[in-house]
Amino acid sequence: MRRQLRSRRAPASPYGYRYRLDDQDEVNQNYLADEEEEAEEEARVMVVPDLEEEEEEEEEEEEEEEEEEIEEEEKEEEKGQGQPTGNAWWQKWQIVNEYLWDPEKRMSLARTGLILVIYFFFYASLAAVITLCMYTLFLTISPYMPPFTERVKPPGVMIRPFAHSLNFNFNVSEPDTWQHYVISLNGFLQGYNDSLQEEMNVDCPPGQYFIQDGDEDEDKKACQFKRSFLKNCSGLEDPTFGYSTGQPCILLKMNRIVGFRPELGDPVKVSCKVQRGDENDIRSINYYPESASFDLRYYPYYGKLTHVNYTSPLVAMHFTDVVKNQAVPVQCQLKGKGIINDVINDRFVGRVIFTLNIET
Amino acid sequence: MGKKTLEIYSVELNGTKDVEQTDKQDGKERYRGLKNCFHSKKDHHTEKLKKELDLDDHKLSIEELEKKYGTNIITGLSSTQAAELLAQNGPNALTPPKETPEIIKFLKQMVGGFSILLWIGAILCWIAYGIQYSMNKSSSLDDVYLGCVLALVVILTGIFAYYQEAKSTNIMSTFNKMIPQQAFVIRDSEKKTIPAEQLVVGDIVEIKGGDRVPADIRLLSAQGCKVDNSSLTGESEPQARSSEFTHDSLLETKNIAFYSTTCLEVSTSPVGTATGMVINTGDRTIIGQIASLASGVGNEKTPIAIEIEHFVHIVAGVAVSIGILFFIIAVSLKYQVLDAIIFLIGIIVANVPEGLLATVTVTLSLTAKRMAKKNCLVKNLEAVETLGSTSIICSDKTGTLTQNRMTVAHLWFDNQIFIADTSEDHSNQVFDQSSGTWASLSKIITLCNRAEFKPGQESVPIMKRIVVGDASETALLKFSEVILGDVMEIRKRNHKVAEIPFNSTNKFQLSIHKTDDPNDKRFLMVMKGAPERILEKCSTIMVNGQEQPLDKSTAEAFHTAYMELGGLGERVLGFCHLYLPADEFPETYTFDVDAMNFPTSNLCFVGLLSMIDPPRSTVPDAVTKCRSAGIKVIMVTGDHPITAKAIAKSVGIISANSETVEDIAKRLHIAVEQVNKRDAKAAVVTGAELKDMSPEQLDELLTNYSEIVFARTSPQQKLIIVEGCQRQNAVVAVTGDGVNDSPALKKADIGIAMGIAGSDAAKNAADMVLLDDNFASIVTGVEEGRLIFDNLKKTIAYTLTKNIAELCPFLIYIIVGLPLPIGTITILFIDLGTDIIPSIALAYEKAESDIMNRKPRHKKKDRLVNEQLAIYSYLHIGLIQAVGGFVVYFTVYAQEGFKPSILINLRVEWEDSNVNDLEDSYGQQWTWYQRKYLEWTGYTAFFVGIMVQQIADLIIRKTRRNSIFQQGLFRNKVIWVGIASQIIIALILSYGLGSITALNFTMLRPQYWFVAVPYAILIWVYDEVRKLFIRLYPGSWWEKNMYY
Repeated sequence: MRRQLRSRRAPASPYGYRYRLDDQDEVNQNYLADEEEEAEEEARVMVVPDLEEEEEEEEEEEEEEEEEEIEEEEKEEEKGQGQPTGNAWWQKWQIVNEYLWDPEKRMSLARTGLILVIYFFFYASLAAVITLCMYTLFLTISPYMPPFTERVKPPGVMIRPFAHSLNFNFNVSEPDTWQHYVISLNGFLQGYNDSLQEEMNVDCPPGQYFIQDGDEDEDKKACQFKRSFLKNCSGLEDPTFGYSTGQPCILLKMNRIVGFRPELGDPVKVSCKVQRGDENDIRSINYYPESASFDLRYYPYYGKLTHVNYTSPLVAMHFTDVVKNQAVPVQCQLKGKGIINDVINDRFVGRVIFTLNIET
Repeated sequence: MGKKTLEIYSVELNGTKDVEQTDKQDGKERYRGLKNCFHSKKDHHTEKLKKELDLDDHKLSIEELEKKYGTNIITGLSSTQAAELLAQNGPNALTPPKETPEIIKFLKQMVGGFSILLWIGAILCWIAYGIQYSMNKSSSLDDVYLGCVLALVVILTGIFAYYQEAKSTNIMSTFNKMIPQQAFVIRDSEKKTIPAEQLVVGDIVEIKGGDRVPADIRLLSAQGCKVDNSSLTGESEPQARSSEFTHDSLLETKNIAFYSTTCLEVSTSPVGTATGMVINTGDRTIIGQIASLASGVGNEKTPIAIEIEHFVHIVAGVAVSIGILFFIIAVSLKYQVLDAIIFLIGIIVANVPEGLLATVTVTLSLTAKRMAKKNCLVKNLEAVETLGSTSIICSDKTGTLTQNRMTVAHLWFDNQIFIADTSEDHSNQVFDQSSGTWASLSKIITLCNRAEFKPGQESVPIMKRIVVGDASETALLKFSEVILGDVMEIRKRNHKVAEIPFNSTNKFQLSIHKTDDPNDKRFLMVMKGAPERILEKCSTIMVNGQEQPLDKSTAEAFHTAYMELGGLGERVLGFCHLYLPADEFPETYTFDVDAMNFPTSNLCFVGLLSMIDPPRSTVPDAVTKCRSAGIKVIMVTGDHPITAKAIAKSVGIISANSETVEDIAKRLHIAVEQVNKRDAKAAVVTGAELKDMSPEQLDELLTNYSEIVFARTSPQQKLIIVEGCQRQNAVVAVTGDGVNDSPALKKADIGIAMGIAGSDAAKNAADMVLLDDNFASIVTGVEEGRLIFDNLKKTIAYTLTKNIAELCPFLIYIIVGLPLPIGTITILFIDLGTDIIPSIALAYEKAESDIMNRKPRHKKKDRLVNEQLAIYSYLHIGLIQAVGGFVVYFTVYAQEGFKPSILINLRVEWEDSNVNDLEDSYGQQWTWYQRKYLEWTGYTAFFVGIMVQQIADLIIRKTRRNSIFQQGLFRNKVIWVGIASQIIIALILSYGLGSITALNFTMLRPQYWFVAVPYAILIWVYDEVRKLFIRLYPGSWWEKNMYY
């Protein structure tokens, strides 16, 4: 059967015919192979009712086989060391020529196209599946409240100004060394400007949670936290936040966590001290607001989507008397019921450590 | 390597150029071949060997010998002398072939395969740390740890592979030591038994029949000594040995017995032993020199080693190219070079299946163990598979295909040929035993026989009893013992009064007995011998118990039968008897065997009996199996072409309906030259014909005939045949037992030595030892080898799949900037943790279809890892897995507050340890460590996702074509052990070690374990569909692209 097909097409390209002859030798070398294959093919023809289709398929196979053969041929020729190949280049050229111009070979391009299409569909459906999965996943997740908040609880602590480092090194007499802190603080506090706060947020009663019942998707109001609450560290009276006098202000904020409520009646307090070394390196710190605590009215937080104007409460630490010209490691901790501040691995949960090195 | 082979090859041509037809000369020419072999060795060797061969010990008189070696043939050496010589020359043992030093083997394991890539990874880690350290003194040590872990992985897997190798080598060395040899030596005037290793030159040794010659020995006294030189020359005929100097050549003279040959018999009178002087020991013996010649033939790489190398190249190629591509992408995306290096490490680690090579080793050794149980002892683990890809087996005849003992095959009496049972136990003798002729014949068989059972073997089955006597007599003795019962008793009753033993001039054997009939006072003379000689002496013939005159027609019938039996390649003996008239030979008559005072003509011819070394009963079946498995079985034997052809026909190496050119010529009554060679499927080629063939002609022979028997080949021609087969791109298995076979065994892709009959040199050169010397064991080996190839394919497909799932996270991480979905350490835990046992479990998978009905795989076309396998694993299942893993990952992040949209390009902030208030999708703020913990949770989730899908992957890999339900989901229990191990390891990692931060595992919420399950099901369904289409449309485009 194979041979019939071959001879039928043989005149199409004389060079092709040559290879087919070669191929026959090769087939002979594959003892056993020939007979069985033929038998198989016959059997197949008998099983499959639609002969024509079968033949087409056969043809396709045929082509592929030929392709392989030619490839092999090429390889062999590449290898062919011992053979005196006078017109080897010419032969190669013929092969390339045949590959490019043989009308049969165009079929292989079509097949490559087919493969690409199939892969396209395969990946498209995979993409569809993943999209569907993600979609159903988001259907199950509330946009207002994350399903789990254990990882982000207990709250972390961060300070401002933040300049990618927790070492505050500056020389009082050289404004260049601290100017960026001032700019950072000013920028940070823009959102706390009294006018803005009064305009956007409500003044809610202190000492209690600001609970807003109602539908989840309702917009929530936020409590005012005015810049002026920070007094000497608000930058309103001293636009350099004390940096020009060697008494730097550092603002401390607690990380926002949806639904987090400090213990009732016991607001979270901030206290700072020298982390290592002489306790007396810091002789006094002023806290603003004076309670050094985060008022309960700023809790709970309802999430970014509905609680749009929420402003995190701050505690400002005014280091009014710190030893100069030496690095002082400072640790500020949150204190209060339910607050954790001694996680070994995480030095920002319930506490923050930074160094002050004020030069004069 | 190439050069050495060439040398041997050229020697072959010379050595076999003048093989002669006759037995004797044939043997001589073989010797010449050997000699040429020696000369062709390297120069300095040649010198030495020449000297050895020019030894004139065989020419010297005993006195001269004594002088030369400072010994005395009566008293022997003194112990002190012996000790001195031993210290000087070393023990009398063959130096095992040079082993690669252990340390080199170990280092090879350390740098082989993927190890290089992993070393690069480790070094990159340290470099990255170095860069970090130079920029920031307090940089984290993570990279150093990772580098150490990678190095550790390489070292551990290396140690493991080394250990496995060493274990399998050990099996062999213990095997070698199982047979300590003793020698009987005269020292200090005393006879002593010492280990043969301690023999020294000049020792006087005694050899009994059945002993192995302990060294090269100059015989001093020997009566009727015969040695079996087959292990040296391949001649199966016993060679006579005496103390006379008969030939100039050391190799041909009769007074030298060679090391490791067997002394078959020594005549019992006067002393029962042969005495000789040791002239060469250990490696300086002739056999030692051939053995060292064999070690010159280098070992070829095994097919599986080539396949694994190919696979390593593919994977390493993918790893390196993706690595470099993304290194460039990373750099062009303005990542720092340091980061880019770290990405590169991740990509390498993700791409390299670290555990795979160890798995392959374990799988192979499991199969090796299984094969050892079936009597195939595998010396080289990789040879396990080689047998499976074997396409040509060059089998020895004697001992492998045959039982290696003469057995009565046919009888001719009453003008009829009867077939005797030649199976291993002879239990089923069906021929007609009622005829009176048989009664006479059986009497002759019983009485005219000098062979005896060694005493004390009553409980041993008859066929296994040890017999003293030559091969034919042994056959006859056992034959009659089986049929008639106690032969010794019969002989006792028929007292022997005179005897002429067989000799080559008479060509008959004769004995005279008193009969057991008390009324019959006549003597019975029984005679057996070469049929034509016997017939000459006869005037009557017994038919149906009656004596009839021997006329022309009966003589004709005799000749026809004789030719027919001879044509079967059998050794035919004729039997006749004569009752001596009582009046002439009264009871008191004294027979004189020298004067021959009794008639030896006008006897009564009784029958013919033919013997053959019959094929083992399991062999025909095994050959058929080989044939259906597409393996060509070629018989290569030193035996006579007719015998070889007969055995080949009876075992199916030449199938019943195929003919040789000669057969066709005979059938059509035309000349051999006129026969169309294409009509003949079988060919019997003699060594003489082979030596005239050019390599091209041999190639033509090997390709054109499917059934080939090489007869009368010199041992060296085996090597030519093997090389010829290998030129056909065939994987060649060679069986052999003699020292002379060892070069061919080594040259073959897989050398198979015989465990019982095999010499140590053959066993050393071989890759595999058949413990029961049985050809059928090879077939089981082939089956196991093919199965392991299929199963390795499955294992590799299984292992490669998850590489994509491990790689994609890195690629997405680099391009999209997500927090890293899976860490390098976690990947190592998959590769070396959860995936190990399942991938070994696939080795226990049963074959999908009858693997013995398939053609052997084509060395160059049927690769272990082909394009289809790589594409299907990487781009189909692997991608589904990656998608599944990402879904789990996104689920974890989304449920904690980070929706996918916010994750994009979050990488830089996410990883900045100074950012401790990073906002998530809900406006919550995260510290760095909280994020890190979430990241590890992500790792764990992705890990679990891959693990869950790998369970599905494991199940689908059970088959490549059949549905899982056809294969049986629960048939391979080990798979379930594997699945259980996967789950248990994952549980331990998550919940047991979740608190150890260095491992980057966290306790995962239980529900996340099930997120990937739909994808696991998808994988299963997808693969079932794939297999369904493959089964529905065999040969279609789909099968070509989707069947691996």
